[in-house]
Amino acid sequence: MSDRAALSTSEVSRNSLLPVLLSLIIPGAGQFYLKQRNRGLAIFAVFLIQFLLTSWAFDNYQVGLLVISAFETNWLWIFLVVFWVWNVNDAHRLAQNKRVTNLFAMVIVALVVYIIAWQVTDVQLVRLVTRFGNALKIGNDLIHPDLFTQDASGNWVPSENFGYIFGTIEQQPPPELFVRLGLVSPTTMLPTYQAGKIVETIALGFLATVFSTIIALPLSFFAAHNVMVRVPFGNTIYYVTRIFFNVVRSVDTLIWGLIVILWVGLGPFAGVIALTIHSVAALGKLYSEEIEHIDPGPVEAITATGATFLQTIRYAVFPQIVPPFVGYTLLRWDINMRSATIVGFVAGGGIGYFVVETLRKSAYNQYAAALWAIAVVIMVVDFVSAKWRERISTGETQVQTGPRRPFYLSLRFWFYLLVGIAVFAYFWSLSEISLKAMLSPAPTLGQVAFGFINLNLDPPVVSDVVNQMLVTIFQALLATTLGSLVAVPFSFLAAHNLTGRSRLSAWLYYATRGLFNFLRSIEALLYVAIFFYWVSFGSFAGMLALAVTTFGLIGKLFSEAIENIDPGPHEAIIATGATRLQAIVFGVLPQIIPPFISYAIYQWDINVRLATIVGFAGGGGIGNLLLNDYFAFSKYRSAGTAVALIVLVVIPMDFASARIRRRLV
Amino acid sequence: MLRVENLTKVYPNGTVALKDVSFQVADGEFLAVIGLSGSGKSTLLRCINRLIEPTAGKIFWNDIEITAAPVSDLRKIRRQIGMIFQQFNLVKRSSVLTNVLSGRLGYVNPYTSLLNYFPAEEHQRAMNNLEQLGLADKAHVRADSLSGGQQQRVGIARALMQDPKLILADEPVASLDPVLAHSILKYLEQLNKERGITVLCSLHFLDLVHRYATHAIALKDGQLVFQGLPEKIDDAQFKAIYGQDAERVSIV
Ligand SMILES: Nc1ncnc2c1ncn2[C@@H]1O[C@H](COP(=O)(O)OP(=O)(O)OP(=O)(O)O)[C@@H](O)[C@H]1O
Ligand SMILES: [Mg+2]
Repeated sequence: MSDRAALSTSEVSRNSLLPVLLSLIIPGAGQFYLKQRNRGLAIFAVFLIQFLLTSWAFDNYQVGLLVISAFETNWLWIFLVVFWVWNVNDAHRLAQNKRVTNLFAMVIVALVVYIIAWQVTDVQLVRLVTRFGNALKIGNDLIHPDLFTQDASGNWVPSENFGYIFGTIEQQPPPELFVRLGLVSPTTMLPTYQAGKIVETIALGFLATVFSTIIALPLSFFAAHNVMVRVPFGNTIYYVTRIFFNVVRSVDTLIWGLIVILWVGLGPFAGVIALTIHSVAALGKLYSEEIEHIDPGPVEAITATGATFLQTIRYAVFPQIVPPFVGYTLLRWDINMRSATIVGFVAGGGIGYFVVETLRKSAYNQYAAALWAIAVVIMVVDFVSAKWRERISTGETQVQTGPRRPFYLSLRFWFYLLVGIAVFAYFWSLSEISLKAMLSPAPTLGQVAFGFINLNLDPPVVSDVVNQMLVTIFQALLATTLGSLVAVPFSFLAAHNLTGRSRLSAWLYYATRGLFNFLRSIEALLYVAIFFYWVSFGSFAGMLALAVTTFGLIGKLFSEAIENIDPGPHEAIIATGATRLQAIVFGVLPQIIPPFISYAIYQWDINVRLATIVGFAGGGGIGNLLLNDYFAFSKYRSAGTAVALIVLVVIPMDFASARIRRRLV
Repeated sequence: MLRVENLTKVYPNGTVALKDVSFQVADGEFLAVIGLSGSGKSTLLRCINRLIEPTAGKIFWNDIEITAAPVSDLRKIRRQIGMIFQQFNLVKRSSVLTNVLSGRLGYVNPYTSLLNYFPAEEHQRAMNNLEQLGLADKAHVRADSLSGGQQQRVGIARALMQDPKLILADEPVASLDPVLAHSILKYLEQLNKERGITVLCSLHFLDLVHRYATHAIALKDGQLVFQGLPEKIDDAQFKAIYGQDAERVSIV
């Protein structure tokens, strides 16, 4: 983190008066004058941001308010002055060709940012203690989910709630087809399975994955540069598709849900559409990048044999893109399943809708039952998806000893095809898919579309939206910091290569791994309820909920980063007679800090997106504004403003975080 | 007979890769193309089967003007010209057999082949070619599980599927170690001598040129600076092609 103005010793001291004066008037100007252009611009930008943040936080949240008798001031200005002084000194040292570092300035700025974030997010640690009774109460409900009850004779039987979640067997009249075929008489009652909410959730995630794959496949070619340079107007098509993918992707599935219900009405179908819209964009981006990265060599070679265009695609392009495409689709299936558990919060359908109802009734043990069901399903999905992806990336299925029989001759193929069609049809019926509803949209859709084009830019609305967006960003920042810091020690326990061989460490390994997997299987939105019961509604509850998922997600990433380190240095240091702790400090830390920082930045990026929706469950931030102030009152123009700002914040963050990560790793 | 007349290639960014290049190759020759990196060897070879569109000039093959052929005829021409690449250009995830069969795409039905269907006789042809190159037992493994030398032999087998009258080889041995380099070039020599296939092969090492080629041409900055028998490349010629500071290095 240090740079030197120049290494020549001949110029020991230069006149530093002018640069110092310049930096005194405009921070960064002296550095700029000394040809350290980027440093000068960065200092100026940081100064400006610090200034704006400090005054914004004071005006809106009285952060830093200091009352001395009748005199009111903001003590956070001290930090700005300190930064200013640092900048002048920095200009002086640069002019003198002395060593300069950024550490001090970074600490100052970080302090200011965290102090503001803390207050703006309304962190009240004391509530964690004073309202601990609530935590105990909800904790008790969580470990006593409403799944089984004792009937009159004292036997444990599935409760009514169990039936809502997992489904019930009911006596129903037989299907008409059976009656027509004369298989059963119309009066007999047949036991029929009525799907529960968790099955509906699985259906939503499955269908959304199928639909979005089908739609994203052709679209992705429009967003692949190497394909588009070969067609007329390719460049325009390429940029339009790219922008479309990025904008759609930066708006969370649940926000799409708010819009979709104004199109097809509340219900599972709305959930399917919302999930599909978001994942078309996410998949399309991944697919197109994969197309852009194919090896052109085989394309050239197959073209040279005299093959047709289609043959070239089939033999040179397909084999290169199909395995990664399948991998991304499996990954997306996992993500869609997670989103399907919460899309019902706004769109209806799936277990999210059920969760909202339990919360409305304050039936926390029913809510707990839903959480457990979700955790089990998502952990299974996560495991299956990861296993299949691993098989694809290692390509072990391709190693075979004899010639392959055409797939359409094998019984297995037909079996899977039939099962697939049956499952698809069943899920289709569960999701209440109605093309009619889709093609004849409710008039509200026109109103939303109009509102999103004619954004409401009245100063009060803009100010509300900007304020809540900043709260959202700070929420995400605190949650990322808190979750990552707590995850660090745990991640060492969950890394196979460092824990040693004792039985205790093996036990700890599985316990932490299990904890990570369990916690990250539940979406942040579902945790909000626990925390608003504990610390009451607002951005603090939302922040804590985000921190819990962050802990699970980042704990897993951290422990994998530790497992991926080169064992050489660690071994070498152990060999010198160092203790295990010393070996970690000198042999392991230098290897894991870059990936840790990179994952933390990545997580912050993810958390900002998640923080835009924690408000849908009472977690504050821009989601709260969007749902309870704008959509609830049909203020679509203001809603458009909020969504536009989300897009404007999320897209640059996504780019910046990707760039920083590329530089770090 | 292959005849190249006043061939010029200017890339869209303005690079002049070939400047007014003319030469002839009689049937059955083994022609080495030499020159420094960037002298235009790859561009020249790719212009011949029009993987790259020439900017000006004509290329005749027997009586056909390749440079004037419409797309449908171009495919018929291409399928008679095998091509071998420095980076092998195999489809890594596909099996060796599929890679070899794909050399036949210009002959088989363009639609049924999309379903991975090749007639039984094509399978037989592919297996025969693999056997010739000593790779019959590798037919069903993934292409990227082979070593570099084996991959290049698959590349040759793929070219042989085309029943080529002409083979274009763009630095076929530059990614291989010396021993393998000789074994690959011996295959090409064998095809040239026994089946009378004309070979155009760009090479980096002069002693490989002396050892295998019957004729040679040299490019420098896109211009033809030598044309004749390999043994005619003396020290003066060498310096003209490779620059004053160049030294002869040899490969084992
Ligand atoms: N697609 C392209 N666009 C622009 N310039 C190109 C392109 N391909 C090659 N060139 C340029 O054309 C010139 C000739 O390149 P070519 O690849 O034919 O040389 P080469 O003799 O095969 O070199 P090497 O031994 O490195 O393979 C070089 O200056 C190269 O930079
Ligand atoms: Mg080349």
